[in-house]
Amino acid sequence: MERDVRIGPGIGRGLKRVLAGVVFAVMGRGLVACARLDDRVRRDVGSWPEGTVVTLAIAPRGPRTSVRKQGGRLEAMGGRDDVEPTLLVTFKNVDGALPVLLGMKGVVQSFAEHRATLSGDVALGISLVRCLHVVEGYLFPDIMTRRILPRPATRQAGHLRAYAGLVLRTASLPTEGAAS
Amino acid sequence: MIPSYYEFANTAKVLSGEGAIENIPFELKNLRCARALVLTNKQLRGMGLVDIVLSALTDGGIEVGVLYDDVPVDSAVTVVNDVAAAFRDSGCDCIVAVGGGSVLDTAKGANIVLSTGATDLLEFRGADRLVGRYMTPFVAVPTTAGTGSEVTGAAVIKDTERHVKMGFASFNLVPDVAVLDPRMTLGLPPRLTASTGMDALTHAVEAFSCKQANPLSDAYARTAIDLVREYLPAAVANGRDAKARLAMANAALLGGAAFSNAMVGVVHAMGHACGGVAGVPHGDAMAVLLPWGMQFNLECAGPRYGELLLHLAGPDVYAGTPEAQRPAAAIGAVRSLLQHLHEVAGQPTTLAECGVSREQLPEIARVAADDGAIVFNPKDASVDEILGILEAAL
Repeated sequence: MERDVRIGPGIGRGLKRVLAGVVFAVMGRGLVACARLDDRVRRDVGSWPEGTVVTLAIAPRGPRTSVRKQGGRLEAMGGRDDVEPTLLVTFKNVDGALPVLLGMKGVVQSFAEHRATLSGDVALGISLVRCLHVVEGYLFPDIMTRRILPRPATRQAGHLRAYAGLVLRTASLPTEGAAS
Repeated sequence: MIPSYYEFANTAKVLSGEGAIENIPFELKNLRCARALVLTNKQLRGMGLVDIVLSALTDGGIEVGVLYDDVPVDSAVTVVNDVAAAFRDSGCDCIVAVGGGSVLDTAKGANIVLSTGATDLLEFRGADRLVGRYMTPFVAVPTTAGTGSEVTGAAVIKDTERHVKMGFASFNLVPDVAVLDPRMTLGLPPRLTASTGMDALTHAVEAFSCKQANPLSDAYARTAIDLVREYLPAAVANGRDAKARLAMANAALLGGAAFSNAMVGVVHAMGHACGGVAGVPHGDAMAVLLPWGMQFNLECAGPRYGELLLHLAGPDVYAGTPEAQRPAAAIGAVRSLLQHLHEVAGQPTTLAECGVSREQLPEIARVAADDGAIVFNPKDASVDEILGILEAAL
């Protein structure tokens, strides 16, 4: 039997939402950093149509994070709620989101358990899942990624470089292969 | 196999057997409906199958507001919007869909448009999007035994601009009533009986081995495979065998309920892409690709395939096969069935026989890697690995 993953029943919901908001911010910037550092993410994001906005959110009225592809760049938009997502992934509640955000449960497993809904093009959703797998490979150590990724993590840059990349909010994308 | 968490829904009431169609008016009245939009295609009308349903409706006091028979072979966004408009304009209060996968998927697409008030289905792509929506009462009468669409929460609609079939998934899409009447499939030719039967088998095998498999979906999948093993050859050999037809209709329904909850994997991802890129009929793609997909998954899903040998080959073969050899024997049983169907009904056994060229394989692999089913496969599949499976199946 798979091990059920729950985050501290004793931790209050408010604290969990704050924690989720912090990890969301890191994840959004992590996606941007990986678009700069890693060919696989650059290739996937490069195929997204110009103007694509991808948003991860938690219901109801929980934290969110968005990234936007605009002008050949990928930009982290933080928790702004004034953007219309092209692709919206919404976790049904913070308890279902946190194990994924903290690297204790895989993104795919989360979808398999119906922990999140997906609004938008399924193919774009699959592309996002591939990107998040790469991001998780940089954010989390192997001892964690072995459990949550479909195959062992491979990295084209070190953890430190990836973490350093979190301070930047945008990444330039190659024009080749980009769809409009 | 017990997952730490799973969800399962199968909300359709099932009417199965001779005369099931005559009970549709009772079910519609139970759903407070009086005026139906009947959705079908011209071929089924020409075969007289729709007349059976129309007679049952009118005899039972249900008015037919619209008879829409322009559903194409592949359900398309434009047709879905057209059906929804016809429903609204004619004051209907329920949908009765008579047909195969494309008719039933068109009905689901129209139901999304009607329930959301949207003018365009494209706005509702995705998974679990229909939360809190009132769905139009919907009766599904399948005329093939394969898709299981009469009990699934999935719909595939073709986006003609991108040449890709789009997926919609929601438990809210499951029809209210599924009607399995052997009269609906008695006239299916052997070749179509074979390919649709292999589709049903693929649903069950993939549902049993995918990441979302759970005890309930397993029970459906195992029974579906038992029925396919016992009755598919009989239905192909003698299309007028009503018992075999009804059994295969049940197999398709069971497989549909299984995969609607447990999902499908790399075989369906490749099959959808073969349809979108090369126009391969879905059942043919499933028949050809299933053993190759199982071969690819063997290192991850071996024990599960080993369990399926009991259902694919029967208790004697299962008992006589050492445990370590059961997974490979299960794949062998699928190949044997496919070969039998090839010999008696001309079922294709390679992608080349389905009209796929080697030059199309890279594009098929690329599209398959973006298919929604791919992430639920028990083993991660890259574009190159998918290409390898396709080349083997060519």
